[in-house]
Amino acid sequence: MPSSPLTEPVFLVLLSLAEQPRHGYSILKDVEGMSAGRVVLSTGTLYGALQRLLRQGWIERFHEDESSRDRRAYRLTSRGRKNLQSEIERMRHLSRLASLRVARKEA
Amino acid sequence: MLQLYRALLFLYPHRYRREFGEEMTFVFCETRRSLSTTLCGRVSFCVREIMGLLAGAFCERVHALTLSGESNSIRRLNMRRFPTSTITLMIVILAGVALTIENAHTVQVKYEPSAVSVWGTMPGFFTVGFGLVFAIAAAVWSILFALRRSGMHRLDNVQTWPDQR
Repeated sequence: MPSSPLTEPVFLVLLSLAEQPRHGYSILKDVEGMSAGRVVLSTGTLYGALQRLLRQGWIERFHEDESSRDRRAYRLTSRGRKNLQSEIERMRHLSRLASLRVARKEA
Repeated sequence: MLQLYRALLFLYPHRYRREFGEEMTFVFCETRRSLSTTLCGRVSFCVREIMGLLAGAFCERVHALTLSGESNSIRRLNMRRFPTSTITLMIVILAGVALTIENAHTVQVKYEPSAVSVWGTMPGFFTVGFGLVFAIAAAVWSILFALRRSGMHRLDNVQTWPDQR
């Protein structure tokens, strides 16, 4: 269970890897696409986030054998997936709560 | 721009650079290739990359400095020679203290020359204090080093009860 809410870039990186394993550039583009161009990560920010997630054991790095450039890709671990689901649940709860409060105020 | 990017990568700790440096450069080149041709887009890309690298390098440096307690204890166990950086730091601190005393003495002489001065004894006092602390630290370090050499720390691994066969 994540101790504190995830930042938006980290959340989007995890979300990007939830679908399929990706390498750095692919994550960068996917995050940009998911946020409709609102979140554009620099390589420094992306690899800082990846390094922290690797350290926490939320993602893992592996060699893409089929790649001619021998690039490394990243994928979610079961721990990372569990934490991402907890975060989604937390957001869902917040969103539900916010909708209820706003609706009550308007009524 | 690529040269600048590579140069900025040197701000990162060596270990990080070895692990991610090539990959980061590759992603940077790919991103640059897919960039729009407008000047505004290029400038914002450069600024974003430079700021990202600076912030990332700072975070990694801070992380390297504040390693976990476990890693620090491993480092301490691995000491093989007297840490010269400690001596240098102590000498610098002593020089700073001596300089401050000297400045304070000058101020006192200037504004209140008739007051009884204790500044004359201060440098000697601090030098003796420094010497004592240094001697104690050297003695403690020697004892630890001797214990390490004699293999006392391996006592933890000694089997105190024989296996029952």
